[in-house]
Amino acid sequence: MKCAEMIETEPPVVARRDAVRMPNGMLGFEAIKDYLLVTNPEEHPFAWLQVASDIALAFVVMDPFLALPDYQPDIPQADVEFLKLKQADDALLLGIVTVHDDQRATVNLKGPIVVNRHTHVAKQVIIANAAAYSVTHPLPLAEAGN
Amino acid sequence: MLILSRKLGESIVIDGRIHVTVMRVDGEVVKLGIAAPSEVPVHRQEVYEEIQRSNQQALTRQSTPLPKLAGKLPKLSVASPP
Repeated sequence: MKCAEMIETEPPVVARRDAVRMPNGMLGFEAIKDYLLVTNPEEHPFAWLQVASDIALAFVVMDPFLALPDYQPDIPQADVEFLKLKQADDALLLGIVTVHDDQRATVNLKGPIVVNRHTHVAKQVIIANAAAYSVTHPLPLAEAGN
Repeated sequence: MLILSRKLGESIVIDGRIHVTVMRVDGEVVKLGIAAPSEVPVHRQEVYEEIQRSNQQALTRQSTPLPKLAGKLPKLSVASPP
């Protein structure tokens, strides 16, 4: 038996990469339609939505329900139809995270990205109940040194 | 831009299905009633602009360090498909 086989090693952490197509782009970035959703377990709860044509550019995204457990986004019917969502499970929601200059981090709960898990088509949706939520919902940060 | 004058209680119709009615005029504030099919999104322009600005601020370089969050968060669904 070779020694190498006796060493217990952690399986390598592999980032998951999924192509996501946003036919309308994002508000303010209408021309950018192709993205890669990169999920690395080590970066939990964050993931990257990379611009496919320039992967150095990306949005930090996270599950908005982790930021606000009783988040109740009302997805407009037009968007449900556009994304061909048949049931709630078809939708993956991504909240766009802003990391501010002063290290504060916030998540946009008014305009989440809704991804159809089966087709990987996505759209930034202004939820019908946007007035109830903030574009800069604060994330609880660890104290410096923790 | 089409500019129309409307009196209190008067409406305009867009595309035969969206009705916009002047409900109240109070100094500089005009209250509009909008009746539209459920598939027509209606939002204040500020919401679009707010989200646009937020997106522009959020777009970052991949090298940006991720924020460190307080406490343990449960396993998230971002890790599941797609």
